[in-house]
Amino acid sequence: MTAAATLPRPRALTFGNLWLSGALLVVIALYPFVFGKAMNFGVSTLIFAGLAMSWNILGGWAGQTSLGHAALLGIGAYTMTLLATPERLPAFLPAPLAPWWGALVGMILAVLLAAIWGGLTFRLRGSYFTLSTIAVALVLRLVAINSEWTGSSEGLFMPELPTLFGLDLFDRKVEYGLAFAFVLLTLIITHLIRRSRLGYGLQAVREDEDGARALGIDPTRMKLIAFMISAALTALGGSIYAVYLQAFEPHTLLELPISVQIALMAIIGGRTSIQGPLIGALLLSIFGELFRTVFSSANLLIYGVLILAVTIYAPNGLMGLFRRGGLKLGVNR
Amino acid sequence: MTGVAESRGVPAAERAAPLLTAEGITIRFGGVTAVKNINLSVRPGEILGLIGPNGAGKTTLFNGLTGFVRLSEGRVTLDGRDITHLQPQARSRLGMARTFQVERPFEDLSVLENVLVAAFLRHRGRAAEDHAYAVLERVGLADRAAQPAAELNLARRRRLELAKALALEPRLLFLDESIAGLNPPAQQEMVALIRELAQSGLGIVMVEHIMHVIMTLSDHVICMAFGELLAEGHPADVAAHPDVIRAYLGDDHD
Repeated sequence: MTAAATLPRPRALTFGNLWLSGALLVVIALYPFVFGKAMNFGVSTLIFAGLAMSWNILGGWAGQTSLGHAALLGIGAYTMTLLATPERLPAFLPAPLAPWWGALVGMILAVLLAAIWGGLTFRLRGSYFTLSTIAVALVLRLVAINSEWTGSSEGLFMPELPTLFGLDLFDRKVEYGLAFAFVLLTLIITHLIRRSRLGYGLQAVREDEDGARALGIDPTRMKLIAFMISAALTALGGSIYAVYLQAFEPHTLLELPISVQIALMAIIGGRTSIQGPLIGALLLSIFGELFRTVFSSANLLIYGVLILAVTIYAPNGLMGLFRRGGLKLGVNR
Repeated sequence: MTGVAESRGVPAAERAAPLLTAEGITIRFGGVTAVKNINLSVRPGEILGLIGPNGAGKTTLFNGLTGFVRLSEGRVTLDGRDITHLQPQARSRLGMARTFQVERPFEDLSVLENVLVAAFLRHRGRAAEDHAYAVLERVGLADRAAQPAAELNLARRRRLELAKALALEPRLLFLDESIAGLNPPAQQEMVALIRELAQSGLGIVMVEHIMHVIMTLSDHVICMAFGELLAEGHPADVAAHPDVIRAYLGDDHD
């Protein structure tokens, strides 16, 4: 008892490393002032950073690898665009919906899809869920390509959009702000999960389902909650991505490489860390851009070798390296 | 020292209604009958010892009683309530807790966080963390609270297993070989802890290989062989039972 009184009692319930998140946000906020000419790169990088963070709530915290997040991204992009386009409105809607309401509808649809999809697959263990994600994304892509109302294989064009508090949504600076807000939202939600009962339940399920069940945790329920949060955020990112792209087609938006890219950013950055997916997305985008301009045709080769090296030497991602090295960058703690 | 007899839990336990009853438990895997028609009951404060040679079906019976393996036949009640078809997670909420034979900490988490996962069953927020830490103090792991669970040695891993089960605030505790493999001082500590838990009113079912441990701790012993009941009763009687001796030493000695 006396020893316990003198020892500082360790804390488990913390938000994780808020300083690291703060520092990253400052860097992101300063970017437009330094690289004002490379806003396209900035916006797309930030959107993918937010998508990787969203993916990681399911892929990292619940440990369920999805290779079908392009489907959820697509639901956000298509729903928002379709509901904002006067010529494509469903019969029951008298007027186009503002993009933020359209984005909200997309999020709700994505959550519903995740609930049904996870409800069917999470009772199975192992790689069944991953396989199902590829299949679901494939089905949605086929529907988008073959349906007249989704613009079939030509895809959709973004119509004129109302201004948001007087801001033009097609202004790259405004879009950068939206993407920044998206990253901020995913970061805040991840930090909240880190400190919560849900976060500990998810980590327990990720590490050992039977061990978790013995402690009163329902693995199916935990995975479903994580999937629904992840789906809602991914759809929101999809809506922002659609505004940024202004025109998109199913061949590029709903393709497997998009899903793989989102997953890779999170895995390479470190799926067991809070900021790992964000850092992974930033680094992969920067290196991708550098290699593309400097090495031109050898770009993909170098990219591939880099990914291979990280997976072999840092199975817990780049942030996992720091933790093992004892640098205590506050990975997940 | 009037408490000595009481401390074995016998008088109090005899009077109380059973916490757990299991009737006609049979578990088959395909054509193999791993557990056949076992009956048992545990009262609050009572320690039930399960013994038997390797492959006798002790762990399978354990998994059946805790809901990790589906029963082929039989009925399990907790406090008179039928829980035969409940999932393990639902049983924990009703007051059942278990440890695993191969201890399985969440290795990415610290010792405190491991226990916190369990503490969240009945507490929220800071209260859960306080409860988790109090349980660590009780099992003597508080000084390791911040350490990653993966770094613990075997004796401490066993105590962490116990801490996680206790953090659920169970009324009935299943211990699957918590003592085997520990060095003698660590064994002594674990024995003392288990006895203390029973004195506080917990019903305990334990599987253990070390005979003298189970014989000194248990109020009642069930010996299984090939999935069936071989003998049961007071520890000394079971140990002296000819069938039990034969099961452990083989048929050749006579």
